[in-house]
Amino acid sequence: MTYKPLNENDVVNTRTLLHEAIPLTGTIVSGTYGGTSIPVGNEGNIKNYAHGMFQSVYDYPYLSSSANHIFDITFGCSTGGELYGKINTTEGQQSKKKNIYNQMSQVLMGYDATGSILPFDEDGDILAGGKKIREAFILPMSRLLVKDEIKKETFQLTLGINGQYTHPHLKQITIADVGASTEYRVNSPAGEYGILYATASSPNQLLNTAAGQEHTASIGGVKYWYAGVIYYQAGVAVLTSSILQTTSSGGGYLVGQPLYESIKFTGEAAAGESTRASLTGSQISSSANHFRHRITNLQFNNTTELNSTIYFCRANHSEFNYSSNPTYLSNSKIRVKTRSSDDPVAYITTVGLYNDNNELMATAKLSEPLKKSPANEFTIRARLDY
Amino acid sequence: MAFLDNSGDIILDVVLTDHGRKVLSKGDGSFQITKFALCDEEIDYSLYNKTHASGSSYYDLEILQTPILEAFTDNASSMKTRLVTYDNLELLFLPVMRLNTIAAQNRQTSDAAYYICVNRETEDNSGSDSVFTGVGVSADGKENAGFIFGESLRGAAIMVDQGLDTTDISPQRKLDGEMRETSFIVQLDDRLGKLVDVNGSQAEPDYVDDDNIAFYTLDLGDTFVKEITSVEVSNNVIKGPRGSRMQFRIMASMDLNTSSYLFTTLGGTDSLTNRTANGLTKSSVVYIDTTVRISGVKTGAFIDVPIRYIRLS
Repeated sequence: MTYKPLNENDVVNTRTLLHEAIPLTGTIVSGTYGGTSIPVGNEGNIKNYAHGMFQSVYDYPYLSSSANHIFDITFGCSTGGELYGKINTTEGQQSKKKNIYNQMSQVLMGYDATGSILPFDEDGDILAGGKKIREAFILPMSRLLVKDEIKKETFQLTLGINGQYTHPHLKQITIADVGASTEYRVNSPAGEYGILYATASSPNQLLNTAAGQEHTASIGGVKYWYAGVIYYQAGVAVLTSSILQTTSSGGGYLVGQPLYESIKFTGEAAAGESTRASLTGSQISSSANHFRHRITNLQFNNTTELNSTIYFCRANHSEFNYSSNPTYLSNSKIRVKTRSSDDPVAYITTVGLYNDNNELMATAKLSEPLKKSPANEFTIRARLDY
Repeated sequence: MAFLDNSGDIILDVVLTDHGRKVLSKGDGSFQITKFALCDEEIDYSLYNKTHASGSSYYDLEILQTPILEAFTDNASSMKTRLVTYDNLELLFLPVMRLNTIAAQNRQTSDAAYYICVNRETEDNSGSDSVFTGVGVSADGKENAGFIFGESLRGAAIMVDQGLDTTDISPQRKLDGEMRETSFIVQLDDRLGKLVDVNGSQAEPDYVDDDNIAFYTLDLGDTFVKEITSVEVSNNVIKGPRGSRMQFRIMASMDLNTSSYLFTTLGGTDSLTNRTANGLTKSSVVYIDTTVRISGVKTGAFIDVPIRYIRLS
């Protein structure tokens, strides 16, 4: 007998979660393939499309076969938003931004009882109404990086919000899904999502979290600004554009501190537009370029769900002691025996897993030969991951 | 495939085979692992040194140092030499398979292979009285030794005997039941040929894998396998106790029968003596060399038989 049946006690199913850290430094996103000589948006690792609906970021010039798609950037605006009516209608910019918003919100937020698309909600409490995110930068992450889902409470995006265009990273805010491992929402058709909160790393208060301010939350005694939502299984981050606008424009950037005047979003000095001016007057790809310009760091951990079947291949003392290896015999006589009373010996290097039809479904190799004789027994644990 | 790191704990490198992935992708429930086998294909047992001066602990010193390759994903390349369970732990001899070329019908060609003529033109020009380029028969019309007629299904047949090939045990003794093979698996490239019995009846493969290797299981009692009952030496290649015998022919596939495409892709050219009356004239042929593997389900013993498909070029 060369095959041994596996019974129900020899097969076990298990589930394992694997996590990988995905660090995306700002230089990959906007520095390495750009520099001063190449205009923003013309970097080799940035792919723009004729339709102008979104922009793709690669880790290497995208024309190379070595390039991996990292994530996309787009901008969407709800018709109910304050900016919508101000958006330039040339080249269909207004409708493109509306379409992006509606597409993403219908996929990620779903519909209300009347069939209307629900807008993004800043705290996820849809029934209570509350503040909506009506103008949003949307970052769909590549499945290559997200795998099965983003691990909760690992997402962190650092943005440079210094007023100067040429030195955007001198002042930074950090956007993270604070506390999401224990508090997240499940009222989305796209799976679980968490609330993104912003906080300033500077000793100076960059975000207005004063009492009575809108868009603020308190977690563990720390004041945060609502900055968006992140959909873990979908791998999409939705960031409110308010985070890059001044308080007077309805944003969180605190006016009045020295050097922190309105953000020069698209360029320095007089030519530089504010965030609001860019979002209403520029194409999506242009806004994406300048948003990218302010990404200092982006990181998260992904999750891969491994479903495993473990096969316990049990070789008892009286089994698998002989071999059909041609070198095992010399003129039909077993080489490893001198007398018939000697113990037979064989060496295991490989395990084959078969179906009923003797079709080889999987093989497992041992890293070194195992000596098998009537004096020993082995249970070899072969795990197949799916 | 690289070697596995054997400097630390024993690790197990498991992969689905390419055929396993194909079966899994069908989604019809046929991917059900129900049994396992163990194998020792890297082991060279001739390294087992029973005369080592330091004693029995050192007999297998070199064997245990054998580096092991990573797992192959090709199902046909894996698990060739399986470990076997016999209840009797005092066996000194194990059964083998031998090609039986004693009878004229079972002989090989002079280069120790079987030639399969893929069409009647190559066999004997369909018996033509005017064209003599066929290479399957001699000038006097007799079938050449070792030539299987892959279209008309006559000529040589491949015979494999199983048993204890030793003179230390009399062939008069019966082979133990657990050593007597009752099922054979034949592996054959399905693009090139099909398995037929000596009467010309075609066998159905159990399955054809992703590399076009067809797997046939043939059981004792069907038209391919029978017990060896004769104890005469004259027609037995197994010297000791005999078990089962299998005999078959190979039918050329339709592709080889009708086209030389696979010959130009996989093969080469040669010239063979044709049936011209002078016995000296040669015909140019294209050929494909391959092997047929026959293995025992119960004993794991196997034999690879070299075959050459030929076609007039």
